Amino acid sequence: MTDTITPGAASVSPAQNDVPMVLADCVSKSFGSNEVLKSISLEVKRGEVMCLVGPSGSGKSTFLRCINHLEVLSAGRLSVDGVLIGFRESNGKLYEMQPKEAAKQRRDIGMVFQRFNLFPHMTALENVMEAPMQVKGEPKAKVKQRALELLARVGLAERADYYPAHLSGGQQQRVAIARALAMEPKLMLFDEPTSALDPELVGEVLDVMKGLAKSGMTMIVVTHEMGFAKEVADSLVFMDGGVVVESGDPREVLDNPQHRRTQAFLSKVL
Amino acid sequence: MSDAAVKNTAAGPPPPDGPGESVAIKAIRLRHPWRIVFAVVLVIAFALFVIDAANRPAYDWPTVAKYVFDKRITEAAFVTLQLTVYSMIIAIILGVTLAVMRLSPNPVVKSVAWFYLWVFRGTPVYVQLVFWGLIAIIYQTIDIGIPFTEPWFQMDTKVALSTFTLAVIGLALNEAAYMAEIVRAGLLSVDKGQEEAATALGMSWFQTMRRVIVPQSMRIIIPPTGNEVISMLKTTSLVTAVPFSFDLYTRSRDISAETFNPIPLLIVASIWYLFFTSILMVGQYFLEKRFARGVGDRRPDRKGGVDDATGALTGTLPVAGSGQPTVIVPPSEGNPPINPGHGGRR
Repeated sequence: MTDTITPGAASVSPAQNDVPMVLADCVSKSFGSNEVLKSISLEVKRGEVMCLVGPSGSGKSTFLRCINHLEVLSAGRLSVDGVLIGFRESNGKLYEMQPKEAAKQRRDIGMVFQRFNLFPHMTALENVMEAPMQVKGEPKAKVKQRALELLARVGLAERADYYPAHLSGGQQQRVAIARALAMEPKLMLFDEPTSALDPELVGEVLDVMKGLAKSGMTMIVVTHEMGFAKEVADSLVFMDGGVVVESGDPREVLDNPQHRRTQAFLSKVL
Repeated sequence: MSDAAVKNTAAGPPPPDGPGESVAIKAIRLRHPWRIVFAVVLVIAFALFVIDAANRPAYDWPTVAKYVFDKRITEAAFVTLQLTVYSMIIAIILGVTLAVMRLSPNPVVKSVAWFYLWVFRGTPVYVQLVFWGLIAIIYQTIDIGIPFTEPWFQMDTKVALSTFTLAVIGLALNEAAYMAEIVRAGLLSVDKGQEEAATALGMSWFQTMRRVIVPQSMRIIIPPTGNEVISMLKTTSLVTAVPFSFDLYTRSRDISAETFNPIPLLIVASIWYLFFTSILMVGQYFLEKRFARGVGDRRPDRKGGVDDATGALTGTLPVAGSGQPTVIVPPSEGNPPINPGHGGRR
């Protein structure tokens, strides 16, 4: 929604104004005749941690992928930090972006996947260094130092030279978080980051995410970890069948769900 | 090996049911007498064959020794190597292009690549080489310019394309069809999540290909490509169809036509072919090792530690110069999911 920006605000550093980090306005997405997202509208403020919960197939992952343009919207508007994602607007017309422009937008949006998706032919350190060096063209020495700091931050300083195949799932996911942070994003998207992990490894990944939330990072987390949502999230959105059923303060929604569908889902999950 | 597990063994109490004293098994090993019998029989048979061959006049070993380093033969061996290298380089470049075309979302581009494969894989390479030899009759001149207008540049086909060039073109265009399938199988073998992760990090399509997809697909691409190089080295013996007559096989046939003694010269040619294939197999081994970084190293006999593990092998080191054709058995995980289909070829 570019019209929410005042003309002068575009030149000011985005961090100074109160434009929401993510603003979705009637976002819809269809695959063929299958409408996965039906007019989703929501807002994520700067520094906010939002948890997206709901049964599988409810469209939460698709919505997440729309935010960094891995999926193209069918309808509606979606902007990150006041800038429209995937499209350029001029003279009231929308133009689809060149792949190069879209790639540039993704630099500022970190994403963590359910299946880690680390590059298996690179060590943990190389995984973290890859994007800053290739995409931003930063000098190697500087990137390496920052990558080592990031690995230390996720508790894996000693594993820098390990290949992903020699790391546990939890360790791989922590490297994946460090890899996304290496691009110094202003927004982090987590797509079920703990769903592919052994139960005893979930905690170490959630701890890293909690630390990240405390540091003020804006995060959208698709998760089934209701404990995490209660403890860390500022807001919770319950989705089902491609629509937002209920949203609000996570403790309120989880403890006292208003909608019958939410009640049914939570009674099975909690 | 999780951090938690390490901590437990370091600080925590030992598990309650710790290992008791286990007694080593002292059993008499199972004997395999038939293995020894077979081995002895095979060794004797092979030794008999070698002794017999050494003394059999038809092999004419002195003539073999005389010609193996003959200047005409070493030159021809070099020409064969050139044919192989040039046509493989062109074939790989064209094959990668065709593979990317086949994976393109554009149906026209896809169909063109498919049509190319259909023609060049569907006809024998020998027939194609004869066609290339006759190209000067089909297209007398090579014109460069805008169609239906006076060409800017015109050249006699016979002058422009030597038989060597035609041989390289003929071999390369045929091989490109096979390389395209090998490369396509390699690219498809890489998990879709890899492309997504790279895209999400802001990498362009080209960066994603070069840094993420291609290095991983190399593990799948290299073993069959090694096969193709070796196959190409031998297929060069067909260039006589062009007709090009300076390759190893045609040259040795020409010499034997003068000496009326074909067998020793066939042996000479075979020695050189085997020498080259052996070198290629060693090269393939090191390439495979290089691209196996981070994967395929879960060997039970590894000593532990990262460096040991990453240095592990996936291929089997061929025994060079043993005089026996060695078969490289790729690891099962290295087999492409899509069989490029070598059956019944050539």
